[in-house]
Amino acid sequence: MKRIKRRTVLTAVGASVGVGFARRARAVEEVKIGAVFPLSGNAAAIGQDARHALETMAEIINGRHNIPMLLGEGGGLSGLGGAKVKLLFADSQNNPQIARSAAERFITQDGVVAVIGSYTSATAVTISQICNRYQIPYISADNSSPSLNRQGLEWFFRPSPTDIDFTKAMFDFFAAIGEKTGEKVQSIAIIHENSVFGSDSAKLQARMAEAAGIKVLANISYQANIPSLSVEAERLRAADADVVMPSSYTSDAILLMRAMHDAGYKPRAIMAQDAGFIDPAFIAAVGPLAEGLLSRSAFAIDAVKQRPAIPAVNALFRNSGANKDLNDLTARELTALQVLGDALNRAKSTNNMALRAALRATDIPGNQTIMPWAGVKFDETGQNIKGNPVILQYQKGQWRAVFPFEIATAAADWHIKR
Amino acid sequence: MVERAGRALLSRRRRELLLGAVVLALLAALPLGVSGAYLRGLIVLALLYAGLSQAWNILGGYCGQISLGHALYFGIGAYTSALLFTRAGLSPFIGMFAGGLLSGLSAFLVGIPCFRLSGHYYAIATIVIGMMAALLASNWDFINAAQGITIPFHGEAWRNLQFRTAVLPFHYVMLVYAALMWLIAWVIEGSRWGFYWRAVKDDVTAARSLGVSIYPSKLAAAAISGAATGIGGALYAQYVGFIDPESAFDLSLSVLIALPAVVGGIGTLWGPLLGAAVLIPVQQLSVAWFGSAAGGIDLMVYGALIMVLALSRPEGLVSFFHGRARQEAVDHG
Amino acid sequence: MSPALILQVAIGGILMGLLYAVVAAGLTLIFGLMNVVNFAHGALLMAAMYATWLIHRSTGLDPLLQLPLVAALLFGTGVAIYRVLIARTLQIRVNGAMVQIFTTFGLSIFLVGLAQLVFGSDFQSINASFLGGRTLAFGAVVLPLPLVASGVVSLLVFLALFRLSRTEFGRALEATREDFEAVALIGVDRDRIFGIGWGIGAAAVGIAGVLLANFYYISPDVGTNFALIAYVAVALGGFGSILGALIAGLVIGLTEALTALVVDPSLKQIGIFLIYLAVLMFRPRGLFGKL
Repeated sequence: MKRIKRRTVLTAVGASVGVGFARRARAVEEVKIGAVFPLSGNAAAIGQDARHALETMAEIINGRHNIPMLLGEGGGLSGLGGAKVKLLFADSQNNPQIARSAAERFITQDGVVAVIGSYTSATAVTISQICNRYQIPYISADNSSPSLNRQGLEWFFRPSPTDIDFTKAMFDFFAAIGEKTGEKVQSIAIIHENSVFGSDSAKLQARMAEAAGIKVLANISYQANIPSLSVEAERLRAADADVVMPSSYTSDAILLMRAMHDAGYKPRAIMAQDAGFIDPAFIAAVGPLAEGLLSRSAFAIDAVKQRPAIPAVNALFRNSGANKDLNDLTARELTALQVLGDALNRAKSTNNMALRAALRATDIPGNQTIMPWAGVKFDETGQNIKGNPVILQYQKGQWRAVFPFEIATAAADWHIKR
Repeated sequence: MVERAGRALLSRRRRELLLGAVVLALLAALPLGVSGAYLRGLIVLALLYAGLSQAWNILGGYCGQISLGHALYFGIGAYTSALLFTRAGLSPFIGMFAGGLLSGLSAFLVGIPCFRLSGHYYAIATIVIGMMAALLASNWDFINAAQGITIPFHGEAWRNLQFRTAVLPFHYVMLVYAALMWLIAWVIEGSRWGFYWRAVKDDVTAARSLGVSIYPSKLAAAAISGAATGIGGALYAQYVGFIDPESAFDLSLSVLIALPAVVGGIGTLWGPLLGAAVLIPVQQLSVAWFGSAAGGIDLMVYGALIMVLALSRPEGLVSFFHGRARQEAVDHG
Repeated sequence: MSPALILQVAIGGILMGLLYAVVAAGLTLIFGLMNVVNFAHGALLMAAMYATWLIHRSTGLDPLLQLPLVAALLFGTGVAIYRVLIARTLQIRVNGAMVQIFTTFGLSIFLVGLAQLVFGSDFQSINASFLGGRTLAFGAVVLPLPLVASGVVSLLVFLALFRLSRTEFGRALEATREDFEAVALIGVDRDRIFGIGWGIGAAAVGIAGVLLANFYYISPDVGTNFALIAYVAVALGGFGSILGALIAGLVIGLTEALTALVVDPSLKQIGIFLIYLAVLMFRPRGLFGKL
């Protein structure tokens, strides 16, 4: 609040001194970045969190801090003479057409240097396409659909892992934990919503299970936001697989956990495809039922030894109005802006070609971020090749990293023997 | 007496046509006065919805069959054109007619059972059929199920109906679409069919006694309306570059197609255009202005506007312009 | 597929169906009274769920004990909606039906936006209720207690509605519907009767909201999950028929559950829709509809 006021005063003084001065001062003063997220509708909770995450990173870049990571000292973008990051937000309403025109408005009216988005893959498709036409980078913060970086776009960059990486991590975990404890996964039951996210995830899981010689005892798809999931839970109980693998958003995650409980069914292990299962609202709703739940993630909040920046960043995020801890999605969104800020610094210009060249040359070591990744380095499709996911487990009211073992902060609670 | 009434009608119809030409010319010149791709894009969208809503108006307004399932025809048109373009390399100009044909046929087929239902039963039945289509589309792998279809950019060309950043070509494409829809409505108003449909809408028993075969005339209205909606769907797909079951088959889309005609003036020539000119900018701009603030305000503004317009202008926005429209509507009702 | 599983699923479906029936009852009551389809019905359900959640959070009162309170609250909301909006639509001579559809549709969008503004967009839930998480076992059939309780309450609601139609007031409702100009002559206040009708309709959906809040999540958009089923139930049962709403709710609940057992659950609503369309082919006014 105080900062905004000071800037308003500065601009006003500039304007009174002379128009030319004011214009030049503004050019150095701020770099506009557009953010398109679902801020209303069914996915609004996630969009509103994303907004807080991006605002937190902007605050880190613009303010004065001493956080042990890239751009953690603040003071603006050093490569651009200390220019401040200015975020513009737009509500996509989770609608591809509205997302597209929001991106177009940012580019043509507001002159943003890049666009960040967008949670759902349908909106990411139209935003990335329009950015490509205007030759403005699109930084995909939290879209995990593997098809996005295969569109052949020249202006697409995704620092975070895709569903292929995520699903592979699950099966790597199954293999490793089976080796370690002797309790090998022999069968799984897949349950997923019939959206792009859900069906892609289920297809990958079924394919990777087959490759690993694991039986798929059930592969159930359901319609999102349905009044009841109790029959689905009954079918899972009837399948009685070693591991239940759900892909659901918050609403259905709550319903599914309660329905399985009501059916008197406690799966021996649940390995979730992130999304709803790591939403604090889900944990609040199902309480003790979440104990022992496993999920893939791109982020491990307790890996503070390896990533010392986490506590300070998390504290800033909590105070930004989010009132919750960073999670997989918010951490990825925050990191996306960090990657973009680093590229702007190195580009030393807001020119789109210079910025793309800088993005392509990105090479950030993992310990300069809050993510448990090896680092950030893009391949020719704009996909980060160093973003390795982790497996988390909800233990005694906290998410703990349990895999890969070298960054694990707790041993996995793993008992699948009949 | 009859002759004089006939002559008055003829001269009124000629005046409408003249007014149509003037509005068309103004809309064609509109981009000269509007700068910025975003605002121009907004007009493109408003023109598209003006056309779509006029297509809906043929069945919902002139024929009085309140369909809340037009997303079905929109979706069929959009998917047909998009699939022909991405899989067979056919120009969208061919695709939109193939899509329109299929949509018209499906509207005809849906009409066969549904026109036996009256009033709210018909409206709910169209909702249900639309929802079934949405469910099936998101489970049908041949059309990429929930994944949707991304229409890749094949380079700037009229043949592909794709333009890198220029909005102007789409302005004229949508304008032609909206103008054609308007013209169809104009022709229908003056035709024997239009007379039948008005008769059907106003008084079913009277229409029957006039010897009007109600059922076939409703089916004809449905087929024309469905085909016209399908063409609009094909244009949308090519303009936005991506379609999926949620954006092409959803119930909210059906409402969005009907809304401009209702708000502007149902069963009138100018209602859909006026409604679209007000609703689409309000919807898109309230997202742009309030959407970034605390969520919800954009929805409140949009919802309140619909309520206020529906209550204060029951005959639609056209009643602002024509004192006569009100009188005529009262006479009919 | 074991018989126990089928029985379990069927009973679960019937209980869920009773809940659908209560949501539909409010809708069909308002329709029967004044020929208005309320497209804000889902939003009213959402409002009732938030009210339950809010009262629970601030006072700790168990949802089950809130039934009369929230029902009264929704009754007031229903009367207010009638007075402020619907009474106006009744004076409109042209396009009356369209104006009603789109006024209530606008109201629905407005209320969803308001809920998001006031409560935020996070999913909320009540997880410390008396019934929550408990189950009831009958041999091999295990039923969640909140669902059993909601089934019992739903039946009581229907009992009350049936009795209501036989009282003096019920006859006044009926008479007002048949010919409100005539009843005005004998001194019946149309706005009062219609207002109370809207109140009762909203109270029914309020009760459904409380029952749902026991086990369902709460969000600004939650109403849409149930509204579509309610419209289908009303059309299937026949607009205006309370008995129709009950039977249709049960048919829908049972069909949905059994469809999910035999085909891919993502297609379970197709089962409902097909039954609905099939019935309408033979009975264009629903099972018990006169209108």
